[in-house]
Amino acid sequence: MLLHLVKKDFLLSKRYMKVMLIASFAIPIFMTFKVDFLSGGFFPFFLSTLYIQYLLFNSVSMLEYKYKGSALLCATPYTRKALVKSKYLFILAIFVCCYIVYTITALLIAGKIEMLSISESGLSLLILSIIFGAIIPVQYYFGYEKSKYIFMFFIFITPFVFPFIIKVVQANNISFQMMLPFPKIVQDLFPFLLALVIGLISMTVSIRIYSKKNL
Amino acid sequence: MKIIISNTSDSPIYQQIKEQIKDAILYGELKEGELLPSIRALANDLRVSVLTTRRVYDELESEGFITTKAGKGSFVAKENLELLLESRRHMVEVKLTEAWNAACSLGISKEELISMMGLLFEEGENE
Amino acid sequence: MNKILEVKGLKKDLGTFSLQDVSFSLLEGCITGFIGLNGAGKTTTIKTILGLVLKDSGSIEFFGKDMNLNERELKNHIGIVFDEGYFYEELTLAEMKSIIAPAYSNWEESVFHKYMEHFRLPLNQKISTLSKGMRMKYAIALALSHHADILIMDEPTSGLDPLVRSELMEILLDFMGNGGKGVFFSSHITSDLEKVADVLILIDKGRIILSEEKDVLLDTHGLVKGEKMALNDQTRELFLTLRETNYGFEGLTNSKHAVRQQMNNVLIEKPTIEDIMLGYVRR
Repeated sequence: MLLHLVKKDFLLSKRYMKVMLIASFAIPIFMTFKVDFLSGGFFPFFLSTLYIQYLLFNSVSMLEYKYKGSALLCATPYTRKALVKSKYLFILAIFVCCYIVYTITALLIAGKIEMLSISESGLSLLILSIIFGAIIPVQYYFGYEKSKYIFMFFIFITPFVFPFIIKVVQANNISFQMMLPFPKIVQDLFPFLLALVIGLISMTVSIRIYSKKNL
Repeated sequence: MKIIISNTSDSPIYQQIKEQIKDAILYGELKEGELLPSIRALANDLRVSVLTTRRVYDELESEGFITTKAGKGSFVAKENLELLLESRRHMVEVKLTEAWNAACSLGISKEELISMMGLLFEEGENE
Repeated sequence: MNKILEVKGLKKDLGTFSLQDVSFSLLEGCITGFIGLNGAGKTTTIKTILGLVLKDSGSIEFFGKDMNLNERELKNHIGIVFDEGYFYEELTLAEMKSIIAPAYSNWEESVFHKYMEHFRLPLNQKISTLSKGMRMKYAIALALSHHADILIMDEPTSGLDPLVRSELMEILLDFMGNGGKGVFFSSHITSDLEKVADVLILIDKGRIILSEEKDVLLDTHGLVKGEKMALNDQTRELFLTLRETNYGFEGLTNSKHAVRQQMNNVLIEKPTIEDIMLGYVRR
């Protein structure tokens, strides 16, 4: 049942799919070749995934807002809970797709584009889950229209805050290593676990918010 | 069987339908043991509510004109001669009352009315 | 007769509009018309029953089971048709179906295809290309392909031409003839309901004004016309609405029998459902 709702989101964003597929190939290649100061696969992968996830999420939200399809779906045996859960699965599914596409790109253009290490994938997933873990409940709370302005504001201030965030992340990386005397495999998996926890917390919050909405 | 519902009649819709089904049974248009249309089908055809046709069938059943078997439908009851005769007799009385009412309002006397009746009997014998 | 839906003391405050103590029930085997002017609370009531709008208080029971506690199970037995459709217009009919169908545990694909053929609906066309009438038929195909016991429709006939409307009425009667347990059908076009409804429920300003068998309503109510002489303090009481002119009066009564007894030389005509609705709403 959940998977059919995820399928619905993919059907709704079908229009943008081809462009996004090309983007998920092109952006990492472009970034790697044009922006020399970046090293490793993290930034090309992370930024292209963020970009694609946000655009697809936003286009689906816009169509949901326009057609109020969730009212019909909620009148069927689909539950509100399932609708919310499927949204998170949709975002995760896009991440997985982007990961696969990036890996294929890296294999095709071997040597030029670097493969992602486990810790780089983990870090990407973690940051993305923090971002969407905030975006999704905010959108459920304020609705598509209002939250659009909120997100615009955040996108606007990103260039100013981004360097700062990177510093914090780097600092945290160091502190992780100092604080956790675990084997490397555990430390590599830690971001995945944390991302999962954040995702689940955010999902619980969204389910709470959505269960009180009038459709 | 014909059923015509009058919008100008004083009697309620269910009464009109009931009387006409009763007539159909009395005149033998509906034979003993014959299956009647379902409540829904009759309601659809007459464009009345199922609640109305249900009430009609309920009353016809309690008056002994039809029987209803669960899951099978409603049937014209096995002819109950006394009931039928009683009913037919009652009908004659009703019609006569109507005739009498009309006669009264026109100022027709008792003798005149009786002689009219006599004429009808004579005509009937001649035919 | 069994109650297939029982709504008790439903309240919902939406700020500018509120449902005030809405109570009614649907009887098994009946088509129930839910009438009222635009903005009277028909859609809000239906949405509240389905849990799309959350109620402030009250209880909703389908087939004797509480809607809140058995939502998924009960919704499997309900077919829904909304006025606006709430379809994702950019999807094709087949795609939209592929989203809706898995929600129902007893969806039957062959039934759906039978309806699609019967209504001549193009599976691979986008929903946005459908006419209003086709869209309604598509909504019905979706609503009737999972062996629903009860069909709930919000203003299904608004904006449709008379031919399509009468086709819809036939579909409803077929549904009831083929084992459907009930239809709940809101409309402000009362002529549709005149033909098919068994029971009528009238809502106005968020309150239920009337809930009665259609034929009883038509039997007890009358449009009365006559000379003003016939009116006095006592007989005025018999009218829901009364319009007096220099030439006479015209009014709607809810006790036709009493009018016949107490008033001489008046003309009593059979009212339409619309006459009756307006009579109560204007009062």
